[in-house]
Amino acid sequence: MKIMVAVKQVAALDEDFKIRDDGLDVEEDFLLYDLNEWDDFSLEEAMKIKESSDSPVEVVVVSVGPDRVDESLRKCLAKGADRAIRVWDDAMEGSDSITVGRILAAVAKKEDAGMVFAGVQSSDDANASTGISTAAHLDWPHAAVVAGLTYSPGSAKAVLSRELEGGLQQNVEIACPSVLTIQLGINKPRYASLRGIKQAAAKPIESLALSDLGLTAADVGAGRALSRVRRMYVPAKGRAEMIEGTPAAQVAKLVEIIKEFRGA
Amino acid sequence: MDPRDITRILFEDFRPQTIYLFYAVGYAAIAVFLYGTYTQIRKYRRGKPDAAWGELWARFLDMAKTMFTHRTLKRRDPAAGRMHSVIFFGFVLLFIGTSTITLEYDILAPLLGVRFWYGDFYLLFSLVMDVAGVGLIVGLIYMMYRRKWLKLPKLNYARPDRKPGDPDYDRTFYRREDWAFLWTLILIGITGFVLEAVRLVWLADRPAVWDFRWWSPVGAVLAHIMQVAGLTAEGAGALRPALWWFHGILALTFIAFIPFTKVKHIFTAAASLMFRNPMAGRVLPRIPEEQESAGFKTITDFTWKQLLNLDACTKCGRCHEACPANAIGAPLSPRDVILSLREFANKTLNASELPSEAELDVHGKGPDQILQETLWSCRTCLACVEICPVAVEHVPIIVQMRRKLVEEGEMEPILQKTLQTIHKSGNSFGESKRKRAAWTKALPFQIKDARKEPVDIVWFVGDYASFDPRNQKVTQAFARLMNKAGVDFGLLFEAEMNAGNDVRRVGEEGLYEVLATSNINTLKACEFKSIVTTDPHSFNTIRNEYRHFDGDFEIQHYTTLVKKLIEDGRLKIKKKVNYRVTFHDPCHLGRYNKGYDAPRDILNLLGCELVEMARNRDNSFCCGAGGGRIWIPDTPGLEKPSQNRMREAGAIEGLQVFVVSCPKDLTMFEDALKTSGFEGKFVVRELIELINECVEDGDPEACAPAA
Ligand code: SF4
Ligand code: SF4
Repeated sequence: MKIMVAVKQVAALDEDFKIRDDGLDVEEDFLLYDLNEWDDFSLEEAMKIKESSDSPVEVVVVSVGPDRVDESLRKCLAKGADRAIRVWDDAMEGSDSITVGRILAAVAKKEDAGMVFAGVQSSDDANASTGISTAAHLDWPHAAVVAGLTYSPGSAKAVLSRELEGGLQQNVEIACPSVLTIQLGINKPRYASLRGIKQAAAKPIESLALSDLGLTAADVGAGRALSRVRRMYVPAKGRAEMIEGTPAAQVAKLVEIIKEFRGA
Repeated sequence: MDPRDITRILFEDFRPQTIYLFYAVGYAAIAVFLYGTYTQIRKYRRGKPDAAWGELWARFLDMAKTMFTHRTLKRRDPAAGRMHSVIFFGFVLLFIGTSTITLEYDILAPLLGVRFWYGDFYLLFSLVMDVAGVGLIVGLIYMMYRRKWLKLPKLNYARPDRKPGDPDYDRTFYRREDWAFLWTLILIGITGFVLEAVRLVWLADRPAVWDFRWWSPVGAVLAHIMQVAGLTAEGAGALRPALWWFHGILALTFIAFIPFTKVKHIFTAAASLMFRNPMAGRVLPRIPEEQESAGFKTITDFTWKQLLNLDACTKCGRCHEACPANAIGAPLSPRDVILSLREFANKTLNASELPSEAELDVHGKGPDQILQETLWSCRTCLACVEICPVAVEHVPIIVQMRRKLVEEGEMEPILQKTLQTIHKSGNSFGESKRKRAAWTKALPFQIKDARKEPVDIVWFVGDYASFDPRNQKVTQAFARLMNKAGVDFGLLFEAEMNAGNDVRRVGEEGLYEVLATSNINTLKACEFKSIVTTDPHSFNTIRNEYRHFDGDFEIQHYTTLVKKLIEDGRLKIKKKVNYRVTFHDPCHLGRYNKGYDAPRDILNLLGCELVEMARNRDNSFCCGAGGGRIWIPDTPGLEKPSQNRMREAGAIEGLQVFVVSCPKDLTMFEDALKTSGFEGKFVVRELIELINECVEDGDPEACAPAA
């Protein structure tokens, strides 16, 4: 039995970043890459299932992305994932989440995965759709925002709880195989010690290209994406004013402003 | 009179069978002793190799010096030290005395016919033995008094890591053992004297004995008392055999029991002193490249020397008393870590077969296992290692055990986050690397980039001094000082990473290696003569540990540099300040690197009146930030070490400034000043700020102590 965990290397903004000249993204120089926070939880959930299972379970992490993604995959290997696969082809540049879902679904089929876990969303693009689209491409059931899970490998169904708005909780029974997108806080992700990461450097990261997945350049990339970024920018900030003067004067001014807002 | 008659006839009037019996008992005692010694050595040999093996002669001399001066035992408890030395020398002399008799009677006389134990030598011998015996007994009586009446908290064996009612909570067995030890030894001494007196009374009509009785003064006095009390020669003769056997059996039992009881500290403490590592804790051990997993999980992961350390502990409680974690009620006492591990080792490693791997795991909640909370409570302040009279090295053991916890992710989530942050951004503040030198923008001059041009001195700033807003002011002040003194210095700017000192002491060795290697490579690519830092933590690891990663640099703490600049007249003191101040020795400057004097000399040069706190210099009390504890919130409800320290300072009459010389100290103590209610009474200042006040006229940042 195999659990496939789809992970993403996300970008965070460095101090005083600049927008690229074409206005579509941030300058590469100002991006700091790391594993998506949600993925720590989905990997941990898979690891927990593996560790408490009587039958053998293989945890395979998969990511779509260029060379730099290896670093994040290594972190997953350090945490105990059995194998790591990176899928890339230059033609994949510009793929949207639906397209990435297509690629992941192809990997899941090739690997004959019994379950697919993904994070609810990625912290950079925040589409929250890659996992769901993978399910669609696989034609599997899916559950999103999973905050609790009871599943034993190989069984025909899983019982899970989902976090809804307004503090509501929903208990769901889902047929397996299925795709689950895992919410933060479902477990306590383990720490990958730096020694562990270093040792994981010795483990191979398998790479798959388009042809390995039975896809062609026409199935992926910007050309196939149904959405595209038109512009990225920092909106003008709201007005802010420093209130100066003695504490008494500051309070008086503050009271005045509040009154003004309340329309008194 | 023939001097050969002036001696003691051994086994006088004993039947041969009785003598054989005595020898049989004696050999049995020695056999038991040897067997016990063998099992102990077998136990130590079950540990891993230790770097301390080697230079044995130098080590031996060093150990002998420490033992004969009793230097380590006299520290902070001179009475106990002196009394122990009386017991020690009494015991040693009595031992040598007994061996001398054996040498003549059992070896030289039967084999070579050589005799020397008579005449003047015998008389001198008797006198020395009497003096030694008195020393032994007096010392032991003091120790009994100390245990029974002084009620010293450090001799209370109750453990802070367990609750009353938990198994072995107050180590009752140890208390009983202490008393058994004291009574056995004192009875051996007393019966020795009584035996001596009884012999004098018994042989009072023999001039070769009686006329020389005052060479055994204690025996003689006792003999006279016995005679006055009506003891006759025949009576004494009748009394003698029972007394003789009692004394003999007691002494032989004592010998037989040495390897099994606390008495073994005679050997283990000496050996521990001999294999002491003067850099213990200051330099932590590397994890060998080929070693799969990090740190200590099982008792067999310990080195033989560490296993020996466990047995050397005499429960003197000095580390227990010095430990800041213990002082605030955290579940850690360095003494109990050692004692628990000792019991654990004895339980698992004394049998001829090793138990299963699972039973060797030292982590856990069992009576002799070590709790995670215990390990995480340590601030690696080194107060325990510093004061231990028998060179037990607690900190490397604690850090090695933490390494295992880190590897298994058993730590506070917030600490885990911080480590990840440091990995990602190279600093504990999670700030962008680009912002590391942002504090320089407020300066009216440019600081050189040491990566781009040669400088005399590279200033390694450190995280707190770089990113913490309060500390940035101090950092800027130091930059102005260096600029004013015309020092040719530069920074590493965004290439500087957290130095790794505390990361290493947390137990995240892999991350430490990444940080250290990165800094070392950066530094190696620069052209400079030496490094300066205001951060004692960075100071320690760069000074002592980087060399083990191929980074041999000269580094000084700013106090040494500034002192020199003032003395050389490069920094002129324009005005003196006559504040009444006290100085807090940062662990990593003081205990770790013996930098006690430079800051005090500077205070003196500035005109300050320095009033020491009781816990100063090597006994300085950690602010609580060390060993990564600055990244872990303290348990609510417990007093923080920094608050405890504020109370100590607050007791100084008319104190104006609490002077620190460490960025973390500034943060910890300014906070503690507020929370412990001393705000407005005195202020916390970095020494740099005082220097700046004296050097710069009309400095707007000048420190104004509370009125
Ligand atoms: S290093 Fe300091 S905190 Fe840690 S056990 Fe020793 S005395 Fe206590
Ligand atoms: S470890 Fe050292 S200081 Fe601590 S109780 Fe034992 S002998 Fe004393």
